[in-house]
Amino acid sequence: MSVLEVRQLTVDFAQRRGPKFRAVDEVSFELYAGETLALVGESGSGKSTIARAVSSLIRPSSGEILLNGKRAGTRGRRLREYRRAVQMVFQDPFASLNPAFSVGHHLRRPLQIYGHPREDLDIAVEGLLESVSLVPPTLMASKLPHELSGGQRQRVAIARALAPQPQIILADEPVSMLDVSIRLEILNLLDGLKRERDLALLYITHDLATARHFSTHIMVMYRGEIVERGLADDVILNPSHPYTQLLAGSAAGAIRSGRRQVTAPVERQAKKSNIALAELSETVSATGCRFRARCPHAMEICAERPVELSVGDPGHTAKCWLFDPKFRAKSTTTR
Amino acid sequence: MTLTRPNETSNKPANGVVLSARNVTVEYGGERPTRAVRNVSLDLRRGEVLGIAGESGCGKSTLAFALTRLLRPPATMIQGSVFFHGLDGSDPVDILGLDAVSLRHFRWDKISMVFQSAMNSLNPVTSLRRQFSDIFEAHVPEMSSDERDERSRSLLEMVGIDPKRLKGYPHELSGGMRQRVGIAMALALNPEIVVMDEPTTALDVVVQRDILDEINGLRKELGFSIIFITHDLPMLVEISDRLIVMYAGEIVERAPSEWVGQSPAHPYTLALQDSCPDLLGERKELRGIAGVPPDLRERIEGCSFRPRCPYAFGPCATVHPELIPPFAVPVEFTTVRDMSATVSVEEKSSLRQSPVITPTAGDWRVACHLHARELNPEGPPHELAGATRSGSGATTSQESGYNLASPPGSAGEGQ
Repeated sequence: MSVLEVRQLTVDFAQRRGPKFRAVDEVSFELYAGETLALVGESGSGKSTIARAVSSLIRPSSGEILLNGKRAGTRGRRLREYRRAVQMVFQDPFASLNPAFSVGHHLRRPLQIYGHPREDLDIAVEGLLESVSLVPPTLMASKLPHELSGGQRQRVAIARALAPQPQIILADEPVSMLDVSIRLEILNLLDGLKRERDLALLYITHDLATARHFSTHIMVMYRGEIVERGLADDVILNPSHPYTQLLAGSAAGAIRSGRRQVTAPVERQAKKSNIALAELSETVSATGCRFRARCPHAMEICAERPVELSVGDPGHTAKCWLFDPKFRAKSTTTR
Repeated sequence: MTLTRPNETSNKPANGVVLSARNVTVEYGGERPTRAVRNVSLDLRRGEVLGIAGESGCGKSTLAFALTRLLRPPATMIQGSVFFHGLDGSDPVDILGLDAVSLRHFRWDKISMVFQSAMNSLNPVTSLRRQFSDIFEAHVPEMSSDERDERSRSLLEMVGIDPKRLKGYPHELSGGMRQRVGIAMALALNPEIVVMDEPTTALDVVVQRDILDEINGLRKELGFSIIFITHDLPMLVEISDRLIVMYAGEIVERAPSEWVGQSPAHPYTLALQDSCPDLLGERKELRGIAGVPPDLRERIEGCSFRPRCPYAFGPCATVHPELIPPFAVPVEFTTVRDMSATVSVEEKSSLRQSPVITPTAGDWRVACHLHARELNPEGPPHELAGATRSGSGATTSQESGYNLASPPGSAGEGQ
């Protein structure tokens, strides 16, 4: 059974003028203990909004979240219990730690708040620091954030998330602010903790390569919708939605394998319709498939909203009309 | 502290070089000065993309700022020279010797820069039109206002942005579009060199790809040279002709990019490459680089990468490694490259400049004792370029395997 189930989650943001902005549109997914689900997509696609809604930092407009099969509390003690179980690691370790307090303070607070016995606090803090390889723990606990490197700070942030013994960790771009040489170490740390503690991990990233290597499943998001999902290898090695193909074709290293050509249609289209390329890639269709304006395979039916359709591999689906047998004939292949 | 001018005759750059730097050393002053760039020499060839890679704090941006004379106190260049060799065949310009007025004319006209954060490099309170006009007013005062607008519009169009946006403000543009505007501005005066300091790091992968394509297209069309700085080695391998890998303020490897992509010669380059997982490669255990870079305020004995290097041996602790040719150059690199060389010269001969000098085996240098015959007669381990031992993984780890030839002029084995 899933630890966390998100059903039809929708988040709207009020705008000063005009209708509300729908940042997340009826998104459903499940998180399982000991597994990592990667959520990838470009900036503004709604990845972080999902994390914020799931961690109950913002209130969704509709949809439900089930923790261990029970509806998540929205206030009082049940909300607190939910928040204990669902912890977050933020992107910027420079902003997520308070510069005025020591590392020890950052770890003691969540322990205190969730009722850890006072006399064991120091031992618990040391245990947390050791679990994220910040040693010697007594020395590290006394340090202030500015004395630590970016990677060390992110380790503190991870230790803090572990303090209330959560079942779920939402990691929102946990390594994108860190230097290349330490990214993998932090991801390996999260991966190791996930195994040891049987955590369910939601890994939000824009980096397809780490998403593939560190997760079981991948969901690809575009403008508030999940456009493709499946096993990590299936989604990356056999990208099916035209947007995923574009993403995978844009990543470094894709050229050598001949993936590169998938970006070409967008450019061709730009030339054909005589719109500046940069302008075209900003265009979003309001109705129907949102990727339509940029899609090289766009058909008439795309003015209607696509549904999730199987692309062949078990559990691998794409929200694209190309995978409906009725329309598949028109465009012989998408791969 | 004096500015030493190294012997010009011994360090004279080859033909077709547009910018040559010799022994550049930069310090950030203070009680214990940080030596951020140490004795770096490089040549930028006409029409090429020269990549500079390395992790944060390795001195890549400081080097770029030194080359363009943008360093501000407490940073000072305590040694070295930077010469610009203009297309017009006039005498080389000593960039460090320019007075304030000539520097102002020189900068942006001959060398321009694209910064990492377009958000901060555009002025949020003035229109794009105003910002383009500023450039022309300062450098081409005789231009009329209509001509300025005309040129600005064509620049925007060139980078794929609707010229109507000229009336707009930076906040109306997305991050990718702002970076395109930054590129358009850098190209406003048709410079011979554009220095790009992490121009795509803050952007999404698709946008990044579009911008890299745009940069490459413009370079082919206009023929400027690029110094491209990034920490993303796989991306750099793709877009650059030659690249330099920096560590702790020094060049540890300099090589034709294509070859580094296949097999780096320096352990640090390999580690940096392994830090970026391969999107389509096999699933395997991934590791970053353990440890931290050295404190640049301290004197570094021997090799600066030694404490983090899995291959460190005796001399690494005491002898400072100099840039030397790799132990052996895989033969497929030399042959494959010879064929592509003719293509690229032809393709580039339409440029406004002389054809680009294609990278050759002789361009490959690595600062590592594993490649020094007198210190390590066996050569480097199989995962590094230049290995001659056919280790167990030599053919399985790389699809192509290694056919080896000795570099020109050395006693050799293989081929």
